Order: sequence, then structure tokens, then C-alpha cells
Amino acid sequence: MNIIETYFADLFRTSGFFTMMVLRAFRYMITRFRTRETLVQMDRIGVGSIPIVFLASIFAGLDMALQFESVMAPYGAKAILGKVVATSIIRDLGPVLASLVMSARVTSGIASEIGMMNVTQQVEALRVMGVDPIDRLVAPRMFAGFVMNPILSVAGDFLGLLSGLWIAFLVGKVPAPQYWAGVREALTGENMANGLIKPFVFGFILTSVGCYYGMRTSGGAYDVGRSTNKAVVASAVWILIANFLISKLLLDVLGFTL
Amino acid sequence: MIRFDGVSLGYGDRTIVRDIDIEVPDGQTIVILGDSGSGKSTILKGVLGILKPQAGRILVDGSDVGELDEEGLLAYRQRIGMVFQEGALFDSHTVGENIGFWLWEHTDWPDEKIEDRVRTLLRFVGLEEVIDKMPDELSGGMKRRVAIARAMAPQDPLVMLYDEPTTGLDPFTSSTICDLIRHVQSEFKAMSLVVTHDIHDAFRLGDLFMFIHESRVVLTGTRKEIEQSNEPFVKAFISI
Repeated sequence: MNIIETYFADLFRTSGFFTMMVLRAFRYMITRFRTRETLVQMDRIGVGSIPIVFLASIFAGLDMALQFESVMAPYGAKAILGKVVATSIIRDLGPVLASLVMSARVTSGIASEIGMMNVTQQVEALRVMGVDPIDRLVAPRMFAGFVMNPILSVAGDFLGLLSGLWIAFLVGKVPAPQYWAGVREALTGENMANGLIKPFVFGFILTSVGCYYGMRTSGGAYDVGRSTNKAVVASAVWILIANFLISKLLLDVLGFTL
Repeated sequence: MIRFDGVSLGYGDRTIVRDIDIEVPDGQTIVILGDSGSGKSTILKGVLGILKPQAGRILVDGSDVGELDEEGLLAYRQRIGMVFQEGALFDSHTVGENIGFWLWEHTDWPDEKIEDRVRTLLRFVGLEEVIDKMPDELSGGMKRRVAIARAMAPQDPLVMLYDEPTTGLDPFTSSTICDLIRHVQSEFKAMSLVVTHDIHDAFRLGDLFMFIHESRVVLTGTRKEIEQSNEPFVKAFISI
């Protein structure tokens, strides 16, 4: 009984802290927007992630086109290769892949940086100087995640489609205009909404989870490592869960179709 | 004047240190001594208003710190300088940005005026040449001196709090830091609370001494009173 009580007490404490942190961060984004700090974070979170996100997107596009081509060729369905590749990249693979790669880089960076600031009393120093760490550290990072993850995700989608074209043309002998016609068919409002809502939510997850674990870190270097580890795992798991829930919501509740 | 009236401090239901009754007159330095985990640093958190007393009152210059709201605390902390154990300098900022941090956050001073103030403070601690360096380029002693300068940035301090200011430093550097702390005190006539477990530094710095053992204050007094004390913990502590 004690273990269950402790588990639920921890769960409530954790969710309470997370909720309060997020609500306060939103309040600061509205009432006291820190332009300079936010731009710095947009650069670090977004611009700094360009190479790894683009690389992952290019190889994902190559692989998707290769796999679909091999499956569709025997049925003579290569004409719709562009549409199939584009649909899977825009709706699901693009946002999830970009966010998972971002999570490995950004969530870990945020958790370790804030965690280290916590254990070296820099966070306490902020409080002593009358600065709320949520205002200074959390809100700019969360805002940067909101803005930069969708931008990177869309750019990654485009590169994935381009690399898909390369495989479709070289391996599948699909003419480029036919491939692009299929891609254009896939660019429906519903697919694009899908591809924009998800990275927005994932941007929130990967930054807020990093901030949460950073803010909860205490102890020393070992604890910073543990927090960082937990943050990356939690962020990846929540991105996958959120991906399923958003897909379910859009398909079943809002009636989005392929 | 700082006055502790039957103060107990702790976290949640857990009391870390209890029944503190002491008065620190203006311009004096009290050194808080005790073994690790005895609650020395917790007292500083009480003075800063980070921890509200579980019992009693902490009065600083007539204000009851536990009763201050957020706005009141912000104004109050402008007159309190805190020097953390390892300096706690922001490692993503230069020395100059660290010292000017409070001024950028809470004033609308132009950059030139802030830079003037930063340079004045760095001159005071003898480190003007490191203004553009990052904290990790500084030695331990330099970091403490920068931290002292940062603590004085808002305005001339009413109270200075030092949490283990010489821990981890070599004896020569420790002595330099102690001299600087005395210099700050004589220059600004600030009351100072110094937490340390080093009895030699304590005697260099303090006018009054408070020993904490097993969550309680076991002795408060001047150096002479401390040296004449028969309290076993104090005798053991000062004989080390």
C-alpha cells in the first residue's frame, strides 16, 4: 500500500510541478517576452539542429522511396509513388523523425544545461537576484521550440521529398513530373494541417520536458547525467504517444481522411 | 540590525535548525559555524526570504522578512548581497555580464552607465582586466572576488551574506578573500553573515560567532567568550 501511495504522491507532485512550470512559462511568454534571450534560444535550438535534422530527413526520404518502390513495382503502382511517399512524410514520418532527432539534441542539451545550473547554484542565484528561472530559462526555450520545430520539420519534409524523387527517378524510373504530380496530390489541407499541428506539439514536448528535468535536478554531475538521460527518454516516449493521439484525433474525431 | 526572534527553519515538516535568538548590530559580522548539514546555509536562505521561518521572525533593518510579499522581497533583496559557495557565476555570461546582470534585469540604465558600475566594482575587487573573460577562465579565488562584486551590484549593500566563501581555496587565496570581505565591511558598513566551517577564517572575519550543532544554537558570543567556553562541541571545534 505504501508503495502505491508513494507512487501516486510522486505522480501528483510531478504533474503539479510540470503544470505550474508550463503555465508560468506561458504567462511570461505573454506578459514579459524576452526577445534577446528567445532569439538566442531559437538560434541554438533551431539553427543549431539544421544539419542533423536535414541529414535524417534526406535519408528517411531515400529509404521511404526505396521501400515503397520495391513494394509497389510488382503491382504496377509506381505512378502513385510520389503521393505515397509525400503522404507518409508529411503526415507522420517528417514531424516524428525531425522531433526525435531534435529531442536527442535539444532536450538533452536543455536538461543538462539547466540541471548543471541547478547543481552549481546558478538557478538559486537567479532567484536571489529577483529573477524567476521560469521566466529567464524556461519560457524562451519553450517559445523557441514552438517556432523552430515546425519550421525545421517542414524544411525536412521538403528535403525528404526531394531525396525521394532521386530514388524514384534513378531506381523506379518514375519521371520527375509524375512524381511531383503525386506529391501535389498529397498536399491537401488535411495532410498539411497534420504535418503542422504535430511538430508544434512536439516542439512543446521536447523543450518543456528538457526544462522540467533540468529544473528538478539536484546533487552533482551524476544526477545531471541521470536527469538528461530521463529527459531524452521521456521526451521521445511522449512524442510517440502524442503522435498517435493526434493522428487518432484528426482521423476519428475531426474526420480527416487520406 | 538583524534580529532573529526564536526562529526555526526547515523544509516542509522537517526542521533543520531551531530556536535561534540573536541580534547583529549594524556594521558587524557574525560568523555561523557548525558541522556539515547542521543548517548553517539554511539560515542564509531564511535571511534571503527563500525560506519562511516555521516559527519566529527574522527582522532586517526593521522589516519582517517572512511577511514580505513578492514585490517586497524583490525590493528587499536589492539591498542584500549574496556570495554563493562556489561563486555561482552564470557560466554562459562574461564576468562583466555577470556583474551587470541585476542592473540589466531591474533597471533601465543605459549600457554605458551599467558598464561604469561594473568597472567600478571590478576595480574594487582588483579584477578590472577580466571584464570580458568567461567564468571558466578564472581561478577559484578570482571567481569568489567576481561573485563579491556581483553581490554588490544593485547598490551599496545593507547586508552581505557569504556561504563558505573560502572553501576549496589555498591558504593564501583564502586570506585574500577574507581581506576583501573585511574591506567590503569597512567600506560599506554592511552587516555580514558568514557561514564557514573554518575556524581560522572565522576568527579573521567575525565580531560575533554562532555555533550550531544538532539543529540547535549551542553558543553565541565574541571571540573571547568562545575561547573561554566549556561547551564540548565548541571546545572540540576550535581546537581543530
